[in-house]
Amino acid sequence: MIQLILSLLVGFVLVLSLYFFVRRARPSAEGSAKQLREARQTLDSLQYGLLPSDLTERLFSRADLEYVLSAAPPDVQSLFLTDRKNIALGWVRRVRTAVLALMRFHRGHARLHARLTFSTEMRLALNFSALLMTCRLLQITFYLRGPYAAPGMVRTAAAAAGRVCSISEKSLAFLNVKGVGPLENDAAHHRA
Amino acid sequence: MNLSTNRRDVELATDDLRRRTLSHMPAPLERMIYLGSTRDYNTGLYYHDGLASRFSDEVACEALSTCHREAYRQLLSSSVEDLVRQVDYYIQITHSAPRDFVAAWKSLQPYRVAVPAATDPLAVEFLCSNVTIALAIWEVNHDGRLRQRPDASLQPSPVQ
Repeated sequence: MIQLILSLLVGFVLVLSLYFFVRRARPSAEGSAKQLREARQTLDSLQYGLLPSDLTERLFSRADLEYVLSAAPPDVQSLFLTDRKNIALGWVRRVRTAVLALMRFHRGHARLHARLTFSTEMRLALNFSALLMTCRLLQITFYLRGPYAAPGMVRTAAAAAGRVCSISEKSLAFLNVKGVGPLENDAAHHRA
Repeated sequence: MNLSTNRRDVELATDDLRRRTLSHMPAPLERMIYLGSTRDYNTGLYYHDGLASRFSDEVACEALSTCHREAYRQLLSSSVEDLVRQVDYYIQITHSAPRDFVAAWKSLQPYRVAVPAATDPLAVEFLCSNVTIALAIWEVNHDGRLRQRPDASLQPSPVQ
């Protein structure tokens, strides 16, 4: 009797797992479109908002630090260091969140829309893991030692994020209509 | 009007704007504030009578928007040292009393509303922090100059 109950239980769990697997493998068109749009926005926010070199180079530039230390009184120096630390922490948090969102999108949806080779999939997985780990280390470093403590790690994170973006771009390439730019985060580009 | 004609017109209008108007504004800070002021806060659309009469409202709006984003990016990549120079120059050309200017900019932070729309909030925060620091350093330098010249008036020196 106990064996029968156990077998029925195992069978029920297997049927339930199969049901969820089938549901997950066939996302609804509406849900899928929403996910694609969100992924495109995340990618745009990374590529055009957080990773451009003019922002990252300036944000982590030691030249600004040296100038402020030489030209500003202690209270302004302290304000500068606090601001830069908060912004650097915000930057790394945003990059990490965007990378996590892209990773989730890739796991759940991108495979259904883009045919990526096994080597590309592996490269993407490695880049995602390395990037998430680097972001975590950067957060700890910035928190403990300030935004100028790990310039090499910042460059590594930005480069890895750039690689993840270019691979993710392939998954979303079919959304780009020839002659039209990427989807805008905001409703009207001409209002920018 | 088809897409290619429209794009060509926007390029011509942008070029026109750069040559006739923006070439007289060497500092990105000044350009960003000026271009931000051509935008209607209720609609988010840019207006420029001269440019609209030569092209069209839509083309003028697009050209102003392009130059606004350009000035913003240039300002974002400016060093703090350069920002201090830009603040100094801007105070001189506005002909306002330096103390009033600094007090107004500290309390109202007009540069916050002068940034283009749809810009990354973190980048805006970074820019505003840099301007705040530049203002503070400019104020220290200005006070230092006044202490060196106790008879000097508070009025800004002429534009160099």
